Amino acid sequence: MDCTAEVVGDTTHTIDVADGDTYGDLLTAVGLSTHEATVLVDDTPVPEDQPIETDHVRILRLIKGG
Amino acid sequence: MVALDLDATQLDRYSRHLIMDAVGPEGQQQLLNSRVLCVGAGGLGSPAIEYLAAAGVGTLGIVDDDVVERSNLQRQVLHTEADIGTPKVESAAAFVEAQAPDVTVEPIERRLTKANARELVASYDIVLDGSDNFPTRFLLNDVCWLRGTPLVHGAVLRFEGQVTTIDPRADGPCYRCLFPSAPPAGAVPGCATAGVLGVLPGTVGCFQATEVCKLIMETGDPLVGRLLSYNAAGMTVDTVEYAANPNCPVCGTNGIDSIEEIEYTETCAIDDHCAGGS
Repeated sequence: MDCTAEVVGDTTHTIDVADGDTYGDLLTAVGLSTHEATVLVDDTPVPEDQPIETDHVRILRLIKGG
Repeated sequence: MVALDLDATQLDRYSRHLIMDAVGPEGQQQLLNSRVLCVGAGGLGSPAIEYLAAAGVGTLGIVDDDVVERSNLQRQVLHTEADIGTPKVESAAAFVEAQAPDVTVEPIERRLTKANARELVASYDIVLDGSDNFPTRFLLNDVCWLRGTPLVHGAVLRFEGQVTTIDPRADGPCYRCLFPSAPPAGAVPGCATAGVLGVLPGTVGCFQATEVCKLIMETGDPLVGRLLSYNAAGMTVDTVEYAANPNCPVCGTNGIDSIEEIEYTETCAIDDHCAGGS
């Protein structure tokens, strides 16, 4: 299954996901760690260890500076 | 109904507000009567403090324990070469006193900590987060949520900025709905290591000041349950809606009722035993 991963403020990736892949795996596939981003499905944050059950997510990066 | 008490000088100074239907004398009086705590007088705090003071926010508390360094001046427009070595709260207070005589500045030359955060936040109507570190950011989220104080969050890095408003009164989501804990030290870069376009915090800090003014005047649609993402490189603005997380360790079903058990170091994680309903 393909899943489009829209990194907010950056690029959109199309990722080929296998059965059992998690949202954490999706973050890894777009070059982010689970520490530095959160995955939103239908505007709701989802746990990184949850299996992917959608074809579109938005990824929000954690920004530190002030 | 707000009691109106604008003198002739104020009627002149704030005339461009007074003629707006959405502000008017009543909105201006609300601004003058309000108390806002700005945490950080750096990149985000500089423009926010300048515009909140110019708008006539009656009392501005400014918390910061840093002194002005030369490397700050590329973006921290409150401070000048002459201020290098001066506490940022002193430099900020001097700017506001010269710019906006209606505004009372409360300089607080301290680091916001678990020990003093509740007392500081309790004295203000709204908090603007211009901090540059995760312990302060998560502490502010937790304290403001528990006290019911609106919090306007901002963050910047390189060309990218984010703004969102946490309003416990509206029962909206909180920052921990998005990010339950902070990353380990070093996992996410800051401006000192990755850089920031000098003008970027100007834009983002002004977004934050805008949110504060709207909250004070109860006008417009604040960014509650929405995060504004600004990319200065592509000059794009995106608004991401986010829902409250029922498992959020702060505002969720079993959220905390105190910060006593939370360590605001490193990841600021909230263990199950801290949660109020467990």
